[in-house]
Amino acid sequence: METIDIFYQGHGLREIEHIEIESDHTVAVVKEILIQKHGWEPDTLIYIEDVEAPLEEQRLIVELCGAGAHLHLHRCRNVEVEVTFGGETVHHRFAPSATVARVKTWAAATKFGMTEEEAGEHVLQIAGTQDRPPPGAHIGTLTSCPACRVHFDLVPDERINGAPGVTTSGGR
Amino acid sequence: MAPDKQALRADLSKAPFRAGVAGGRWRLIDIAWPHVFIAVTAKDGRDYVLRFNASGFPATTPTAGPWDMTTNAVLAFDLWPRSKGGRLGAVFNPNWKGGTALYLPCDREGIAGHDHWRAQMPSKIWRPAGGLVQYLEFVHELLHCCDYRPPARAAA
Repeated sequence: METIDIFYQGHGLREIEHIEIESDHTVAVVKEILIQKHGWEPDTLIYIEDVEAPLEEQRLIVELCGAGAHLHLHRCRNVEVEVTFGGETVHHRFAPSATVARVKTWAAATKFGMTEEEAGEHVLQIAGTQDRPPPGAHIGTLTSCPACRVHFDLVPDERINGAPGVTTSGGR
Repeated sequence: MAPDKQALRADLSKAPFRAGVAGGRWRLIDIAWPHVFIAVTAKDGRDYVLRFNASGFPATTPTAGPWDMTTNAVLAFDLWPRSKGGRLGAVFNPNWKGGTALYLPCDREGIAGHDHWRAQMPSKIWRPAGGLVQYLEFVHELLHCCDYRPPARAAA
């Protein structure tokens, strides 16, 4: 039987995990394997990264995502996200599978009107902390049920300056 | 096998590194201990090989710089990624350590003498538990940011 690699994050699971599954596994089978492995609740939902709706459980996983796909497992359908920048706070509900990168694009570009260059100079930091989750982190890993909300500050990324003889061309 | 080499191999077998490989973000080229060669893919599809010195991994912060696998030497400077004047140029700085290291807080050579960075930019400081992926994430992000330009030789 052919096997495929699946990567996943989930509720209470901040680091990416990996599982090898058989190509004829349904979503329900994969979900059951992961629930058993991590002790999650039976009503856990399974998502594809950055896709809003949970997967239909009777479908074959390979029909819905290819090898190397990123999944997310969480009990909630939405995470209430707040992002504060310049004294203004914006709100939106995302699926728990939404990446920090997607949330940042929504906040920086869509809501605060930043250019791509300006957005690239800012990062999301969990409010009240110095925790800056990486762009690929799923927001469902940053919160817990039943509250399921996360508050970010959109902050400037620190510039690394002061190297001796720094050039802007990168060439001799 | 030496504990640091064993720890490095275990790190490369973990899901975060493998997810990066599966996603086409980076790939292992070779290990010639204590050196580890990993190619990181830029936004234009160009691969930049970093030669890591991972001795003492993970307790000791690694150091890495652009490397040419063909000549087995530091990558010629006109093949380094270029900056448009932003933050990439500070990190990929050929004048820093003769081009053998990147100017990053999570680099052994970068953090030396810059203890104030630990307070100024804690998110960029090496964490042994974070593994090599944290270094690769920083480099990959830089090679995909708006400040990235292809090397001078490629543009000539």
